Amino acid sequence: MTTTIGEAIGFWILGPVALAGGLGMVFSRNAVHSALWLVLTMLSLGVIYMLQAAPFLGFTQIIVYTGAIMMLFVFVLMMVGRDASDSVVEVLRGQRVAAAVLGIGLAGLMIGAVAQSVGVPLAAGAPSGSNVGGLGLLVFQRYLLAFELTSALIITGAVGAMVYTFAGRAKSKAITQKERVAERLRGPLEKFGSRSGPGVFATADSVATPALLPDGSVAPESLSAIIEATARERLGHATELSRPGDEHDTAAHSHHAERGEIQGSQT
Amino acid sequence: MGSQSFSDALGVDYGALAPLLIVLGGACVSVLLEAVLPRVRRRSVQLVFSLAVVVVALAAVIIRATSGAGDVVVLAGSLSVDAPGLFLWGTLLALAVPSVLMLADRSVEPGGVFVADPEALAEAQERVGAGSLRSTSSGLPSGTGTDTHGVVGRRGGAGPEPTTPPEMHTEIFPFVLFALGGMLAFSAANDLLTMFVALEVLSLPLYLLCGLARRRRLLSQEAAVKYFLLGAFASAFFLYGVALLYGYAGSVRLADIAASAAGPLRSDALLFAGLALLVVGLMFKASVGPFHTWTPDVYQGAPTPVTAFMAACTKVAAFGAILRVFTVAFGTTALEWRGVLWAVAIASMVIGTVLGITQTDLKRMVAYSSVAHAGFILIGCLAITPAGLSGTLFYLLAYGFTTIAILGLVSLVRSGDGEAGHLSGYAGLAQRSPVVAAALSFCLLALAGVPLTSGFTAKFAVFSAGLADGMAPLVIVGLVCSAIAAFFYLRVIVLMYFSDPAPDGPTVSLPGPMTTVAITLGVAVTLLLGVLPTAALEWAGAGTFLG
Amino acid sequence: MSALVIVLVLLPLVGATVCGVLVKGGRDATARSAGFAVSLVELVLVAVIWGLFDPSAPTRFQGESSVEWIPAFGVSFALGLDGIALAMIALLAVLVPIVIAYTSFTRAAERFPDGPDGEPRGAGGFVALMLSLQGVLVALFAATDVFVFYVMFEVMLVPMYFIIGRFGGARRQYAAVKFFLYSFLGGLIMLGSVIGIYVASGTRLGAATFDWAELQRLAAQLPESTQIFLFLGFFAAFAIKAPLVPLHTWLPDAGAQAPIGGGVILVGVLDKVGVFGFLRYCLPLFPLASQTLAPLVLVLSVIGVLYGALLAAMQTDMKRFVSYTSIAHFGFIGLGIFAFSQQSVAGSALYMVNHGISTAMLFLVVGMLAARGGSTQIADYGGVGKIAPVLAGLFLVAGLTTLSLPGTNSFVSEFLVLLGSWPREPVYTVIATVGIIFAALYVLWVYQRTMTGPLRGEAVVGGGPGAATARALAGGPGFSDTVDTDPPDATRRARFGDLSGREIGVLAPLVLLIFLLGFFPQPVLDVINPAVSATMSEVGVADPVGPNGVAR
Repeated sequence: MTTTIGEAIGFWILGPVALAGGLGMVFSRNAVHSALWLVLTMLSLGVIYMLQAAPFLGFTQIIVYTGAIMMLFVFVLMMVGRDASDSVVEVLRGQRVAAAVLGIGLAGLMIGAVAQSVGVPLAAGAPSGSNVGGLGLLVFQRYLLAFELTSALIITGAVGAMVYTFAGRAKSKAITQKERVAERLRGPLEKFGSRSGPGVFATADSVATPALLPDGSVAPESLSAIIEATARERLGHATELSRPGDEHDTAAHSHHAERGEIQGSQT
Repeated sequence: MGSQSFSDALGVDYGALAPLLIVLGGACVSVLLEAVLPRVRRRSVQLVFSLAVVVVALAAVIIRATSGAGDVVVLAGSLSVDAPGLFLWGTLLALAVPSVLMLADRSVEPGGVFVADPEALAEAQERVGAGSLRSTSSGLPSGTGTDTHGVVGRRGGAGPEPTTPPEMHTEIFPFVLFALGGMLAFSAANDLLTMFVALEVLSLPLYLLCGLARRRRLLSQEAAVKYFLLGAFASAFFLYGVALLYGYAGSVRLADIAASAAGPLRSDALLFAGLALLVVGLMFKASVGPFHTWTPDVYQGAPTPVTAFMAACTKVAAFGAILRVFTVAFGTTALEWRGVLWAVAIASMVIGTVLGITQTDLKRMVAYSSVAHAGFILIGCLAITPAGLSGTLFYLLAYGFTTIAILGLVSLVRSGDGEAGHLSGYAGLAQRSPVVAAALSFCLLALAGVPLTSGFTAKFAVFSAGLADGMAPLVIVGLVCSAIAAFFYLRVIVLMYFSDPAPDGPTVSLPGPMTTVAITLGVAVTLLLGVLPTAALEWAGAGTFLG
Repeated sequence: MSALVIVLVLLPLVGATVCGVLVKGGRDATARSAGFAVSLVELVLVAVIWGLFDPSAPTRFQGESSVEWIPAFGVSFALGLDGIALAMIALLAVLVPIVIAYTSFTRAAERFPDGPDGEPRGAGGFVALMLSLQGVLVALFAATDVFVFYVMFEVMLVPMYFIIGRFGGARRQYAAVKFFLYSFLGGLIMLGSVIGIYVASGTRLGAATFDWAELQRLAAQLPESTQIFLFLGFFAAFAIKAPLVPLHTWLPDAGAQAPIGGGVILVGVLDKVGVFGFLRYCLPLFPLASQTLAPLVLVLSVIGVLYGALLAAMQTDMKRFVSYTSIAHFGFIGLGIFAFSQQSVAGSALYMVNHGISTAMLFLVVGMLAARGGSTQIADYGGVGKIAPVLAGLFLVAGLTTLSLPGTNSFVSEFLVLLGSWPREPVYTVIATVGIIFAALYVLWVYQRTMTGPLRGEAVVGGGPGAATARALAGGPGFSDTVDTDPPDATRRARFGDLSGREIGVLAPLVLLIFLLGFFPQPVLDVINPAVSATMSEVGVADPVGPNGVAR
């Protein structure tokens, strides 16, 4: 097996580019940049394959990885938000230094091992027949089991994704207005009467409890003229705003909030 | 080209492949059932179906093993169905039966471990009367099942509104079957590529299962993420190793690698670099030595039945693959690489034992003990002799059942908010529930390797094989580590028998029939393999790997 | 006879199961009676076997039987008796009924720790554990397969662990765990050697085996270096069990914390497994190594004799005292075994039996005393002889047999050991003889402090912890007549009754044996001697003592 000059030139250009893409992916802080660096690596690899007379593999690489998978990545990033970045606080002291030293050491070992073997002709020979046909034979005969097993992998992945995303709250049957009223009247934990509307922060909805302004101070207009004394007294002990007697209300509200949150995440 | 001749060319021997095909096919059908069946009937149907699949596959393995059919390599050399392979398959499927039973059990926790929506369940129970539930969680003296009270409570206060039974993630059944299929393929794979794909097939469902405990969501998901990330890392190592080996031998088939290594002299750098990377990936799965860091967190965080499945079956599959790789692909070069793995085995035994002593959580302790045991098993793997092979196979069988029984018992001891993992919860357990304490003590003694338990027979088989193959230092380290490890097993027994129970300590749930069967099976096999191990030993020693 | 041996193993185990079931069913008293009956039947069986045993038979073992167990490892469940094993089994069969009777039927049995219901644990569980221990020990002594021996060696820890841990004294958890870990560690080191000899037999005999006779044949082929390694593995386990001095620290704890009955079997029989192992396994299987390493063992033994005696004299706790005297005695036994003469080895074998009897006697008397005083501290007693003369008398008997007074059983064996050791190992023998003087010192000193002189001590005259127990013991109408004669002494006396008829009944067989074997040791020696000669020929050392008992 000889290497033509064109192939060599292509390799020495594309190889460093692919490597740079890999490094760029690892080191860029921005997730979108990472994804794009990865695209660069994959494109380079695709071209290298083509240079090595494996056009089918090269195109597959470009179409599947760059075209499909990386676009999925980018879409996901778009939904998650591109400014979601990792924490850079080092939890274990010296971890990075150790990781760097060990990583470089391992890389050195690997490069050494490979370099030592470069002079020796490798055992693999060129496949006979056409590119696609060769691949087909390998996939459907030699590695049929591996290929079929991959389907198990994909099914698992699909089902797993569904389990993880749709497992929020079991769909209970729709509760009618009548049932809701009956439930509220019978149930031990619910309160009679209406509750505060969504988005209102209130630990109690009695007239005796004044409303709070966003800065936490009491809204003067909410103080009742008739039971002012009571309200003042209670305000003197801010902690009492959530004393045990109000437990039902707190429960009801957290319940509310939770339901709202889950609905929100599903839409 | 007719289909007949095609399957001939591939070497599709359906008799040999039957167990694998049954399990994987069953997994696919199980996914379909998930889609077709109404929600309320899914659990029971899935359970029966999965059990049937496992049992039928097990029957197929037994038929194949007893029929005297020769060892064959099928599917164009990608799968090797030989005597040790069949033993591994049998072990995996036999271990899967109690695992599936434990996964499906709902008696210990209301709704089971995999309840889809614990808040809804808790709410439903709160609606029908907080009183009855509180009384169970605060703990009646002994043996009161939480669930029975839950039922009574529900019935008592239900009134006109029928509470729907809590839903469970029935998807766990196809996951388990897929994982099992992956394990079967992994332990029988005859080339590294198939082995890699099988590794992924067995790992992915396990990652998913780890994160499905919705009650302790954060712990569980942390475990899943940790397992996934480290597992992916290990897979990458494995794959890199495969690539280097392909570069060396021009083939990923195990026998070809051995042939290349025995062939004309050339640089072995690729061979050993490839082996090193491959071994990292394999050791990770088997939670050996320095590659164990995921084990304690995942064992603790995953739902206990999943831990049991993982601890027992994954270990079998991983060590099956290690045995096969070592024996078939690297048997001829063993002298050159074995020294490094000595260090790994010693590290594994020492790490597992020393860190095991410091644990205060029973599941973490079991995790570290599994690391130590992995070191013991590795001794058997390193002795590339028939005795080493049969000893290792026997060890895997014995260890699997003991672990399942232990984790089953652990899941029974519960405090108000879930399992009482902390050791202090086990104080005085013998007074609350003598049977559970006795069974747990027996299994712990088996892990310690006390004679008349399977643990002893297994250790004996492995150590004698190691000594016969000139690994006396390893065996001595193994014996010393066993002695040290006995300390932390005994500590639990001491707590259970000789301490007074804390007044607000955990209760012991009355297990449902399924968990009971699983635990009984585990304990019975532990005893049986300790007292009458002959049949299993003979089967384990029935043959060698097919090159 | 082989069928009888198998029954001998199975009967106690079945009995233990029955007792366990009865205890579970809440029928503690029935369980105790059933257990006692089983142990008596076992004693009768042993007597029958003793009668059938033919000392002049040419074979090494008698009553052999073998069932294939794990063919893959070449293991069979093989049993057979030689004289030493038979003597040990007989000792066990005598002690177990005594222990059960003491624990179950005398009111002097100490109060067991509280169970879950706040009541003291019933003795039924103790009886069940004791019987299971007996079954395992019989199998261990009768095993002619090294694997079976090893299995029993480890399994016997489990019932003993629970006997100490469930029924022992205040620090029983610590003692139980220490006991288990020490023994388990020793067992694992031995496992290394067991595997080693198994592998060696595979390479040298063709087929790997555990059969004792086959392995003994192998001994001739093993090079000395291999033998030394394998010997050390076995030796470590046996030295911990026996215990020889640097490895002895678990025994005083276990002995002091075990219940009296458990202590009797622990020190009297279970520890003998160590010296039995020297005789049955170390010497015949590794003869070259035994000779090479004999000085090591002799040094440890002699240190044990002196150290045990000195520490015994220093003890303040009577149970620890008994444990330390045992360490001294084990030193003598070790000396006799590794002096390699017919007389000394026979003396050691006889010593194993005699020490079991005398330790049992001492332990039981201490237990009866402690049940009255509620304390095992020596300082809590004084002048007991005045108020409990029978108890004091029996304490003296126990003490005298411990110090090997001529006329008691121990004298014969100790004399044989020293006589047989003299020709080959004069230095060690002389040093060990000093131990006899120490023995007289510590025994008589303890006796003097507790039994003689004026009434004193918290347990005897003060409102000691045992006062209530003592009142209960001494209760009954028979006491009222003494009250009016000597009021101040009578109140003391009311705290502290003498031995009851049942307690005397428990001790009587032991007293009988002490004097019987003191004057007529020949029946036991007749049974032991063939096995000793066989061992000597297996070691292959010329007997330094001539047939007429005179050194050559």
